[in-house]
Amino acid sequence: MAASEVTRRLVATFVLYVTLSSAAHAQSITTEAAVTGGVSTDGDPGALRAVATQLRAFGDITSGVRFFVEGAWAKTSQDESDAFGAAYPYTDKFQIIESYAERIFRPRRGLVGIRGGRFRPPFGISNGSDYAYSGFTRAPLIRYDGYFALSNNFLEQGADVVVGVPRLTVEASLGYPADVGTAVRPSGLDTVLHVQGSQGPFIVGVSHIRTLPYQAGSFIHGNTLFTGVDARWMYAGVQLRSEWITGQSFDGVSTKGWYVDGSVHRLAMGPITAVARIEQLDYDTPATAFEMHARRQTIGARVRLFDGLSVQTNLMHHTGRLAAYHEGALDLSVTYSVRHDFNHH
Amino acid sequence: MRAMRMFRGVVLCVMGTVLTVGAAGPEAPDVHGTARAGGHPSADVVVWLDAPNAPAGLQRGKVVLDQRNITFTPHVLAVRVGTLVDFPNDDRVLHNVFSFRDGKVFDLGLYPVGTRKQVKFDKPGLSRIFCNIHPNMAAYVMAVDSPYFAVSVDDGTFTIESVPAGTYTYHAWRAGDTTLATGTFTNGPDTRLVVEWPQAK
Repeated sequence: MAASEVTRRLVATFVLYVTLSSAAHAQSITTEAAVTGGVSTDGDPGALRAVATQLRAFGDITSGVRFFVEGAWAKTSQDESDAFGAAYPYTDKFQIIESYAERIFRPRRGLVGIRGGRFRPPFGISNGSDYAYSGFTRAPLIRYDGYFALSNNFLEQGADVVVGVPRLTVEASLGYPADVGTAVRPSGLDTVLHVQGSQGPFIVGVSHIRTLPYQAGSFIHGNTLFTGVDARWMYAGVQLRSEWITGQSFDGVSTKGWYVDGSVHRLAMGPITAVARIEQLDYDTPATAFEMHARRQTIGARVRLFDGLSVQTNLMHHTGRLAAYHEGALDLSVTYSVRHDFNHH
Repeated sequence: MRAMRMFRGVVLCVMGTVLTVGAAGPEAPDVHGTARAGGHPSADVVVWLDAPNAPAGLQRGKVVLDQRNITFTPHVLAVRVGTLVDFPNDDRVLHNVFSFRDGKVFDLGLYPVGTRKQVKFDKPGLSRIFCNIHPNMAAYVMAVDSPYFAVSVDDGTFTIESVPAGTYTYHAWRAGDTTLATGTFTNGPDTRLVVEWPQAK
């Protein structure tokens, strides 16, 4: 058995142990379940339909260790489009997405966090809660499977450490790929570095990832290397986010891309959150026939109908060659979620 | 020398006893009670007693509404008007705590892990607390103009500490109900305050 496989199994066993211990002795456990059904005009022929389910459990263990486990199942009627390509894979099988245990220490004014298990690579704006149906029905182009950039469905199995003070942290992860989407990287050691600082309402980060290409073929050589800058600002119900990345999927090609998105939720808007995003992706290869240059604009809204039930609609327009059937599309999805807290005092 | 030490010890002991008795005075009893809805115990009910002549003062100790595991803890917090509440981010993700609807209106902006912000709840009423990034996060802060209040626990019981003997008007609030339960209550040695809504939510 390869060393990487042994390491992977050891980490998985550790996480399973901690998780089961958590369930038995946890101070608090929260469980969430969410079901999303969506339909999009971006189908050919006919409408594209998708359904997705996520189950989550997370909480505290008495000793100060926290755990997070998430499983998901999703299916789409036409997998050539990136409609509903949020933070979960549409592979028609139930998969564990993240499963990790972590502990945070507070030495004086410092911050130290240690995480072990399976988690999203800490590159840029990477938390699942930032992407999963938070108003957008599609992931940004630079975060989508198959666009020669970074996938939202990349997962690392290993360890992650964050150190610093609250206003300036350095996070590093070391692990093996444990991807769950259509873009699956071969086994190999990955490193991800993320430095984040905040000043007032601004939060800015710089990231770097070194991993192996998910593409297969005799012409694929070298590493996947990306560097990115991410920024966020939020105040009075208005949130702005942006990521910019540059790098290569493998030797000889390059990918650059960015997006800026915003959401607005003011009191006068009641249950409605308005969202908008503009983005660009440029993939350059020596053979121009394979190049990909695309721009996309999206506007939409998330409407909370009542507790647990929300509707999201996005109107998207793009130019360039992408995995979509039409230059414009209307996506509509309905999400129902339930949440339960178990507290042991 | 030994006799001197013993004498000093006895003097200190006597002084300590006198000071302790003098500080205690007559103790006000606690009010114990139960909150029920539709015949079942009801948790997270805020119960308070009107006390317009109660001495002014701030709540003792640190009052915290924690953000942890993408959850506000506690889900329901009761405070006396004028109390400063800490909102630490003890999670591994960013949060943006806000209250737009009623009660205390505020927006704490985006703030990172390991930092905290504070809000002074300076007028009575209910504030609904949310996170702009995580729509499932929600909590309630009820600010009351009285030092006598409590929040019921899982079995519906609550204890309001150190309530001077007398007759009070009580109020009770629970999430999802637009009407307060109100009545009168006389605090005595064997009395128990029962707050009841006829129907569950």
